Amino acid sequence: MNSLDYLIVLAFLGMIFFVGSIFYKWIGNSDDFYLAGRNLTPFILAAVLAATNINLYSFIGQSGIAYKYGIPIIWQTWTGNMAMVFSGLFVIPIFRRLRIRTIPEFLEMRYSKGVRTLVAVIWVFRLAFWLGVILYTAVTAAQIITGVHSFTALVLILSVVVIIYTMLGGMWSVALTDVIQFILMLSGALILLPIAMSYVGWWPGLVAKLPKDSLLLVQQTGKYSWKFVLAIFLLGIEWACVDQGLLQRAFGAENIRTVAKGLVLAAIITTPFALLWNLPGLAARIIFPHLANADTAVPLLLAHFIPNIVLGIIVVGLFSSQLSATSGNLNGIATVFASDIYENVLNRKATDKDVILVARIITILAGIAMIIFAYAVPVLGGAVNAYLTVIAIMDMPLFIIAVVYGLLWKRANWQGAIGGYFSGAIAGIIGQYFFKFDFNLTTFISAGAALLITPIISLATKNSPSDKIEHIWKAKKISEEESKNNNVYNIIPKTLYGKLSLGIFFLGLLIFLTGIIMGSQGMELASVISVTGMVIYFAGGLLKTYTN
Amino acid sequence: MYFDWRTWGIWLIGFTILVVWIYVPIKEFKKLLKKRKDDLNK
Repeated sequence: MNSLDYLIVLAFLGMIFFVGSIFYKWIGNSDDFYLAGRNLTPFILAAVLAATNINLYSFIGQSGIAYKYGIPIIWQTWTGNMAMVFSGLFVIPIFRRLRIRTIPEFLEMRYSKGVRTLVAVIWVFRLAFWLGVILYTAVTAAQIITGVHSFTALVLILSVVVIIYTMLGGMWSVALTDVIQFILMLSGALILLPIAMSYVGWWPGLVAKLPKDSLLLVQQTGKYSWKFVLAIFLLGIEWACVDQGLLQRAFGAENIRTVAKGLVLAAIITTPFALLWNLPGLAARIIFPHLANADTAVPLLLAHFIPNIVLGIIVVGLFSSQLSATSGNLNGIATVFASDIYENVLNRKATDKDVILVARIITILAGIAMIIFAYAVPVLGGAVNAYLTVIAIMDMPLFIIAVVYGLLWKRANWQGAIGGYFSGAIAGIIGQYFFKFDFNLTTFISAGAALLITPIISLATKNSPSDKIEHIWKAKKISEEESKNNNVYNIIPKTLYGKLSLGIFFLGLLIFLTGIIMGSQGMELASVISVTGMVIYFAGGLLKTYTN
Repeated sequence: MYFDWRTWGIWLIGFTILVVWIYVPIKEFKKLLKKRKDDLNK
């Protein structure tokens, strides 16, 4: 990078800081801080969700795996998008009707205060540590691209601005800067793709020079085979139903139909976007065939082949992806702490003013924790992976108790929920560390244990339904607010067009699964069938958001 | 001259998303701004 590139990056940081900070005046109450006053419109929400889900790790880590193992890693993003459509159509509208802010809040409504506090404490640490890990990854990639070798300087560049504007403007700042950052990261990727492809002789060059099967989407064997696609799809559904960062943005939607539209649109726009960073990873395989660290593939591509000024713009795009992911999760930590721990346990008489002040303080403290964790990552080494695995294992039981039993089985009680949550986590840890199962299998073991233990303990203990349980069940149907505003959203469609759209959605799912099963048999058409199924699935989902 | 329709096809989809996501959110944000001002004036 030269001085002009640095100037572009500095101008970007200044602009984002300015835009993020002006929303300070928009914070009137805690709902403004947590959820942008529940005012987000469909296209703004879609950009916010897309920006949050794409971070620098997507550009660097996923393209690195594409470099090493070929294109199938793209299913990580694509099945995540499919999961987002599923949760947007069937699950998050229920949560939005309940007007909750966090999943722990739902857990109190459904089970007990104890379950809420327990999960909230785990989530605060989980999000802070996760932020530290993605900051560390971002800084190591930025060192190669920018030529700035100071770890501390890059940590400060990628954290101070975002901490301040998130602290000042809460979700308003997060949302509006996310929209700008989404546009910038898409622009950067659009510049990178043709440059990378031109160096390898465009598509024919890519096909001819890559190892066999690198462009085969559904593979019969290997680390990223059809089994990986199915496993990551199921994990994606768990993520799309309980992830605080994603849910909090969705709860900021102006109404229930906007929740569904925003999630479906975000999924649709992120799907072609994923090609824009995976294809350069494949091109890098041809240009730099023997890299020891695959994560350096795209950074090296940028450092070697992108002319100055253009490089500055792409770096702005990459930084945008990092800042948007950071701001969203910082706001998530502040919300969980202020709402589920401070307001609910530490100071039940807190005023809105107190809560906003605490949320701001927590934003700063979470930012500091993120920086400390980023420094700790290389020191901790393997412990980082261990920690990330444990928290990932704990997500699946949370999905089981919150969504599967929380929304579908009234008899599940708080004893069953806590028992199921911990037994799932313990089973996962035993599978991972004692039996050395791979991560996908471990996750299913963890889910299986939670699925089994929750009903056993629930049935063995007293049936003590929460008094709000009927309120939760009612949220599956249209609310008075929707009827009053003449903007109803039926989870199960009532009209012919609505039913037709749901039919298209499930037909797409069926075709997608057929394609994956064909892949298990090594059939040539598997990739085309599964992608066609995915496209039909998205079309059905989009139609459902416009019909009843 | 060779024209790689696959790469440019993907690029065009991305570019279309870019244009739509510049135009529509600005329109929606203007509405939000107006609503916010109206709320403050109430």
